[in-house]
Amino acid sequence: MKEWPRASLLGAEIEFASMRTYARYFLRRLGQFVFVVFVGINIVFFVTHATPVDPVEQAISSATQFGHSDPRAVEIMRKALRELYGLDGTILQQYVRFWTRLATGDFGPSLSAFPTPVSVLIRQSLPWTVGLLFTSTLIAWGVGNSLGGLAGYYRKNRLLKAVGIAATGLQPIPSYIMSLVVLILFGYIWPILPISGGFQMNVSPDLSIPFVSSVIMHSILPVLSLVLITIGAWFVGMRSLVSNIVTEDYVVYAELAGVNRRRILTSYIMRNALTPQLTGLALSLGAIFNGAIITEFVFGYPGLGTLLVRGVNSGDYSLVLGIASISIVAVATAVFVIDLLYPLLDPRVKVE
Amino acid sequence: MRTLKMLAFMLSSLLFGEHAIAQADFLAGIPRNEVLIAENPEGRITNSTWFNIWVVNHGSNSNGLQQLGLDTLWYIDADAGIDGVWDNSLASEKPIYNADFTEMTVKLRDGIFWSDGVEFTADDVVYTVETQMKDPTMVWGPAFQASVDTVTAPDPKTVLFKLKRPNSRFHAIFTVRWNAAWIMPKHIFEKQPDPTKFNFNPPVTLGPYTLKSFDPNGEWYIWQRRDDWKRTTLARFGEPGPKYVAYIDPGPPDKRVIMQLNHELDIIHDTTPEGMFTLAKQSPSSHGWFKGFPYAHPDPTLPAVILNNEVEMFKNRDVRWALALLIDMKAVSLASYRGAATISAIAVPPTGLYPKYYFDPLEDWLKNFEIDTGKSKYKPYDPTVAQQIADSLRPSMGERIPKDPKEIATAFGRGWWKPNPEVATELLERAGFKKEGNRWLKPDGTPFSITLLVEGDQRPVMTRAGTMIAQQWRQFGIDAKTQAYPSDFFPRVASGDFEAAMAWSVETWGGHPDLSFFLDSWHSEFLKPAGERQPPRNWQRYSNPELDKIIEQIRAIGFDDPKGVELGQEFIKLAVREMPMIPLMSYNVFTVMDTTYWTGFPSAETDPYTDPVPNWANTKYMMVKLKPAQPK
Repeated sequence: MKEWPRASLLGAEIEFASMRTYARYFLRRLGQFVFVVFVGINIVFFVTHATPVDPVEQAISSATQFGHSDPRAVEIMRKALRELYGLDGTILQQYVRFWTRLATGDFGPSLSAFPTPVSVLIRQSLPWTVGLLFTSTLIAWGVGNSLGGLAGYYRKNRLLKAVGIAATGLQPIPSYIMSLVVLILFGYIWPILPISGGFQMNVSPDLSIPFVSSVIMHSILPVLSLVLITIGAWFVGMRSLVSNIVTEDYVVYAELAGVNRRRILTSYIMRNALTPQLTGLALSLGAIFNGAIITEFVFGYPGLGTLLVRGVNSGDYSLVLGIASISIVAVATAVFVIDLLYPLLDPRVKVE
Repeated sequence: MRTLKMLAFMLSSLLFGEHAIAQADFLAGIPRNEVLIAENPEGRITNSTWFNIWVVNHGSNSNGLQQLGLDTLWYIDADAGIDGVWDNSLASEKPIYNADFTEMTVKLRDGIFWSDGVEFTADDVVYTVETQMKDPTMVWGPAFQASVDTVTAPDPKTVLFKLKRPNSRFHAIFTVRWNAAWIMPKHIFEKQPDPTKFNFNPPVTLGPYTLKSFDPNGEWYIWQRRDDWKRTTLARFGEPGPKYVAYIDPGPPDKRVIMQLNHELDIIHDTTPEGMFTLAKQSPSSHGWFKGFPYAHPDPTLPAVILNNEVEMFKNRDVRWALALLIDMKAVSLASYRGAATISAIAVPPTGLYPKYYFDPLEDWLKNFEIDTGKSKYKPYDPTVAQQIADSLRPSMGERIPKDPKEIATAFGRGWWKPNPEVATELLERAGFKKEGNRWLKPDGTPFSITLLVEGDQRPVMTRAGTMIAQQWRQFGIDAKTQAYPSDFFPRVASGDFEAAMAWSVETWGGHPDLSFFLDSWHSEFLKPAGERQPPRNWQRYSNPELDKIIEQIRAIGFDDPKGVELGQEFIKLAVREMPMIPLMSYNVFTVMDTTYWTGFPSAETDPYTDPVPNWANTKYMMVKLKPAQPK
């Protein structure tokens, strides 16, 4: 019988133990993930159902607001709509109905766009929101962190100081003001970019060159306004992290040892500073499913944000629940993935 | 560096190139001078692919469908009308009632066709009524259920309605003010197993336009003039000018102004007073309904302080009148519309033809109207309030403020109540209220407090008016405050869960003097007890046997009976004496029209042929008056 070399056996045992530990870690995090999603969706369910806005009354209000209305007819309509929307029954019965439907991935019909399913409305808006916020988040993260890293390392560079002042100056500007300023600059004073909608009017929304180029052109100003207000946070965060790391002993030794400065910056400093920024990125990407309400509103961009506002104002619980549920799952997933990757990315983080 | 320069050059070329394209081809494939672009005030349409306007929560009421694509029996214009205020649209004549108003016969026009080439007949009307009667979740289903016993078509051009009870105003369901019951294409809907599950996309239209294309995200809809527009009812007035009409979501008010300055939005539905003043100053091609102040179109709707008459303190007329006498209308006008308000002391809006029917005849009566407080007698009407508002604006607005008293009356309104805290004090004291120090107490000794509901950011002009009124009441010693309910304002008002609210319970035809459009619902038979939802429109929950009698007399006469105006005047006098709610002004809409690409828009001075607000269904009449301003 062939014997395993002792060293190999020990290595395999360690590897196995480490895998077992990681599996336990994975399962615990998975349990937390499921718990967070369950609790989050429940909270949203009860909060939306506690709203004083009644979808039936909103529908009646909009149907009778300007036209001729017979008081007798309004009573008949109220009764009929309450039955149609399935709003009869106790909150508990509605709660059971909701989870039964959700188990099959169905959020039910929208109450403000009845009988169109909520999933159809979300599917229509989701690509626009993801496109807009994914792009702007990545640009802001990439540019903000790069410039912040440089500013933290080359602290005496005047250009980087000026960039720092600009980035931190833009950060507190309210999103509505920033959007409007960008819109006035590039839509009125120097009118070179479209200021409304997701694509040019009368273009067919298919994967043709005119449509795609139109989508890109229409996204420039919304992306720009989002990048300008978010870039400062990444810049400041990265600059602070780098400013701390440059004083670490290993950086000082590397400099004294004559290691190339570019290499010190990229491999010794930025890489270490990036870990918390990656967590921030993951959370930001998870949060994009909330939409960018104000930017979408100003630029007439057809994303989830304006859809959510419409749902809230019309008391459309189904729609609000649908969007909120997706958002909860997305943020929880982002945290979950980051938790799983952390021990792999940063050896200082132990699973036990 | 060289690479950077090259990149910068390429980027600017791309941007300038796009700009050049954007100017020439604002809408892909449609020349700018062939399209009229109007604002859809509903913004982005959630249910964008639904054109089945007969179901609740269908796509949109303001995307051009009801304005350009649909038709019904009659239209009444809020202003002078293209050929008088009444238009027989699909009907060839006015409704014919029997003696006791239990039957209505409708004669239909010949030669009217749907956009797919099928002829419109009485069967479409019968189908429209019967289909909706079967399903009360359809928009006009409950109204038909409540009124119609049977509907038949004795011949292809005649419809006979037999009604469940006498109803001299039954035709109002089919008469457009802002909208009405639209006629369904029987040949399309009858093929559907369930008409409420059918999205009617693309819509087959009866109006002069058909749908060309639309954004599935609900941001824009483009309508194209039908080749066979001569086979629609609008053809009686000529060819519609714009070949295309786009209804778009232009975003917030500031952006609408920018788009019109860029000539990318021909009709702004509504903007802020400040936006209107900016356009009046900076854009020579932009015009409001009035050439000068107040620019806005006064809609036939009457914003008021709605007092909940079921709340104990407002059951007493003296209290309601005291509150009216504590309002300084000049300050309210400046706070709300920045002076661009058209004020009204009486319970109808000062718009359309109502100055002729109601304001002129009642002016002397108002001047002599007297309040007897028990301690003193007081004539509260000040006929010069509108004149005073105009005078106060003249130093800053100059030539834009009219000087002719008649023009001032049309633009700013006429008189209002003189603020008089002394008389208000006497009225409150007679009602058992007491002043202790600086604050007023109710007869039961608790503080006299009023919460005034407003819509907040949803309706900033009315919110500002409410804030000013609450402040004026506070100065007098009443603990008054405003509370904003942006999302559920109207349902809250309907449920009676309020003391006072900035809203409206008076909406009129504007062009026609009949007041039943709102007044019929003020009858006490529809009054709900506190806690139950009040149907539109008696939000003030007011009842009075004298008012019931007036309403019943109106029900007993025909729509055009001259006695209707007399009864309307009686109602107004009653409302002045009783003050169930405090009328303020008409609902002024800052609709701004850009004449760069189109001329012939309606205007108060030159041609008030229709309401310019582009989501009113009467907008179709505007199409035949519009002419291209630029060569093709």
